[in-house]
Amino acid sequence: MIKFVFLVGMIVLSLGAAPIQNDDQFKAAVTSMGSDNKLVLMIYTTSDCPECAYMKQKVFHDKAVEPYLNRNFVVIEKNVHTSQLPDGYDFFGIPTMFFIDKAGNKKETIVGSKRPQPFLADLRRIRGIK
Amino acid sequence: MRTLFLTIVLGVALSAYDAAHLKKALEEKECIGCDLRGANLSKMDFSGGDFHGSDLSGASLEESLFEMVDFNDCNLSGVNAQKALFWKGTMKRSDLTHIHARGANFKGAHLEQSNLSFADLRETKSWKINFTDALLIKTDFTNAELGDSQFIRNDLRTAKFKQSLLWQTHFSGVVMTKTQCSHAKKEEAILDANVTCR
Repeated sequence: MIKFVFLVGMIVLSLGAAPIQNDDQFKAAVTSMGSDNKLVLMIYTTSDCPECAYMKQKVFHDKAVEPYLNRNFVVIEKNVHTSQLPDGYDFFGIPTMFFIDKAGNKKETIVGSKRPQPFLADLRRIRGIK
Repeated sequence: MRTLFLTIVLGVALSAYDAAHLKKALEEKECIGCDLRGANLSKMDFSGGDFHGSDLSGASLEESLFEMVDFNDCNLSGVNAQKALFWKGTMKRSDLTHIHARGANFKGAHLEQSNLSFADLRETKSWKINFTDALLIKTDFTNAELGDSQFIRNDLRTAKFKQSLLWQTHFSGVVMTKTQCSHAKKEEAILDANVTCR
């Protein structure tokens, strides 16, 4: 019986999650890059998370951050309560930001919000382009 | 000699926890109305636990996890809580005077009617905290992130808010200095008509 429940659980889990390369939002982000060598910034949010709102409404649109972000990253958002989350992208706190290359390799993870200047410094470091 | 004697006596008094209470706290993550003065509770996970009504003064909670822990009516004065995590915890009516919580995370915590005077809350992640009726004499919020938190009926004039993040922070019925008011407005805080800036 336990074996059966375990097997059913495993099947349900394997049906529920997929590799990032098969994620529709990720695929669309990569397609939108064309030949540009950008990174995907995947942000996990919830609807009742003020830090998420701060990042999306203030930091991403900061006059220093926004141009660099648009030039070098494609942002996708996943609400952890309503979206299917890809395999290997577990989270501890919200917001969590994953930086992923075109091939689906996770380059870095940032947990929590950041002020515009430190966030821009992180983006430059992760992207490796001043 | 006298100083040495006093230091030893004071040291013993500060770390005079009840060994049975500490054992219970470590094994069950729960100890209600316990004597945990000066106990070492650092670098452990107590998430979901219950310590309400306990005396933890002078204890070390450094880098421990206390997600959704009940610390209501506790004595947490002089506690070392640097880099500890208190997500959605309740600390109502508690004594947090002189707490050393630099870099700690209090996201969603309830601190109503608590005394945080002389607390070191520098660089804390303090989003969505409820500070209603809390005492905040010389509380240090330097570089703290206080977005979406609520300050209601507090005297904030001696508190330090230098470089603190106050995005969408609610201030109501509080007394602030003009400098604090100016900083809060610049940070896009929400100050209602009952805020006094002087």
